[in-house]
Formats: sequence, structure tokens, C-alpha cells
Amino acid sequence: MKIAVLASFVVVLALFIFATQVPVDITPEKVSAAVSEAISQSEVPVDEEVVEQAVKNSITILEKGQRTRLKYLAAAYIVIWLVFMLYVLRLGQQQQQLDQRLAQLEQTSNGEE
Amino acid sequence: MGNLSTKIIAVITAILIFISLYLIFGYARTEGTMLEVQKIFYYHVSAALTVFVAFGVNCVFSLKYLIQRKPDDDLLAVAAAELGVIFCTVALLSGPIWARYAWNTWWNWEARLTSTLVLWLMYVGYFILRSALEGDKRRIYSAVLGIIAYLDVPIVYYAVDIWQGGLHPDRGTKWSLETTMRYTWMVALLALIMLFIFLLIIRYRMKKTEARYEILQQKYLEETSG
Repeated sequence: MKIAVLASFVVVLALFIFATQVPVDITPEKVSAAVSEAISQSEVPVDEEVVEQAVKNSITILEKGQRTRLKYLAAAYIVIWLVFMLYVLRLGQQQQQLDQRLAQLEQTSNGEE
Repeated sequence: MGNLSTKIIAVITAILIFISLYLIFGYARTEGTMLEVQKIFYYHVSAALTVFVAFGVNCVFSLKYLIQRKPDDDLLAVAAAELGVIFCTVALLSGPIWARYAWNTWWNWEARLTSTLVLWLMYVGYFILRSALEGDKRRIYSAVLGIIAYLDVPIVYYAVDIWQGGLHPDRGTKWSLETTMRYTWMVALLALIMLFIFLLIIRYRMKKTEARYEILQQKYLEETSG
């Protein structure tokens, strides 16, 4: 039972990591394309380097925000799973002790008969 | 309930949990304001609603015990209360993590949070009372406390209506969610209710074995001393 519970925890954790580690789909090519598009659509003359830096800064802020949110999300699901896992492990332990006590009692009463 | 049925329930529970996790992280739309953090909602709210089911089972079997005085009803009531405390712990621990991001605080003494904490404390008190008493007295007093403590459940549920201006959203919010989010939440709720049923069967069986052991031990002691 312990192995099953631990395995379930590992699988859930792996599933969670797999699902939340989807990389932010913003590649340098996409950044360049967005910058070029913004410049071409602009009606006033703009500095390409300044726009590119501004876009990069925005992406950094977005990524930092996403990392923070994922940390909270991971923490919550790990805590939820830990509570259930510890409870099930404790149940397994109690069941084992109970079985031992029952066997001991049966053995003692049989021995005296 | 036989071993085969328990195994079937265990398999269904495991499948539902995995489906719910897939739906949470791979299907449900990400909410616009809180983004990924909102995904805590699916298990947090489901755990909180499972608490109501667990304490409801405790209340029904406590009442049944007081009427019929069958020890098995008491055992089922205790098993349900124990699981209620576990699910309530889950809700109380996952909530602050979400709150820290959404409300910028770990805890707030608003109506829903406070009444949930009171509910948890009352059922912890239920176990303290049980450990302090013996025999019939233990069963009767804890059954009465179980019924009284259940009165806090509607207070928790309607807290946002009774004390308006709290941080929790309205009761109806979960039903007005976007379709993918609503289905995902329903599967998560079903998964946790199945988990509760499965653990309840296991815990009830253990309680019955413990009771059998106590009877056998008493019998043995009486025989050896007599």
C-alpha cells in the first residue's frame, strides 16, 4: 500500500510538472516579428532598439509573473496531496499494527487452550 | 461492502483523480484575472464541499445511533468525522496559498474563513471528547456533539450571504463559470467525493476490526482472570 501511495504521489507530481512546465511560447523570432509589425504600423518615427527593449522588458515581467503564479499553484497542489498521502500512509500503519495485535491475541489464546 | 466493490471504487477514484488533474492542467480555460493560480479553485472548493458531505454522514449516523443505539452507526459516524477533518484541513491549507496571491494576505477573519475554522475546531473537539470518555458515554456524548457541530455547516455555506462584504465570491459563482471550467470542477468534485467514499469504507472497516479486537481482548482477560 505504501508503494502504491508513494507511486501515486510521484505520478501526480510528474503530471503536474509536465502540465505546468509548458514553456512560454514567445521566441526571439516572434519578438522581432512583433517589433517589425509595430514599427511598420506606427505613424510616427520610432527607435527600433527602444521598442525591442521595451518588448523584452514586458516579456521578462510576464514570465516572472507566470513563475510566481506557478509556484503558488504547485505549493497548493503539493500540500493537498501531502495531506491525503500522509493520512493514507497513517491508515496503512494503523492497519498493520492492528493485524499484528490481533494475531498476537489469537496466538496467546490458542497457546493457553 | 465486499472486497471487489471496494477495489472497483478504488480504481474509479484513481481514474477520476487522473482525469480531473488532466482537465485542470490541460483542458480548463485559464481564468483571466488570477490566471494559473485560479486552478487551485478546483480542488479547494471540491474539498470544502466534500467536508459538508462528510459531516453530513456523521450527523445522520450520529442521529441514527441515538435512536437505535447500534455501535456500528457510531463507528461510521466517527470514520466520517475523521475524513471530514482531513478534507477540511485540505481546504484550510490550500485556501491561504490562493489567498496570498489573490488577496495579498495568508488569512483574513472574514465570515467564510472564520466559520470554516470554527467547524474544523468543533470536529477536532469531537475527537478530544471521544478520547476523554469511555463506552456508551463516549458514543452518546460524541453523537450529540456531532449533531450540534453540523449546525455550523449551513452557516459556512451561507456565510457570504449572511455577512456580506467578505472576500469570498457569491455562492452561485461556481455555477456561472465558463463551460470548460465548470465541467472540470464537476469532475474534480466527483473525484474527491469518490475518494471520500473509498476512504470511508477503509476507515469504517478498520474501526470495526478495532472494535472486534477490543471485544476479543476483554473476553480473553475475563477468561484468564476467571
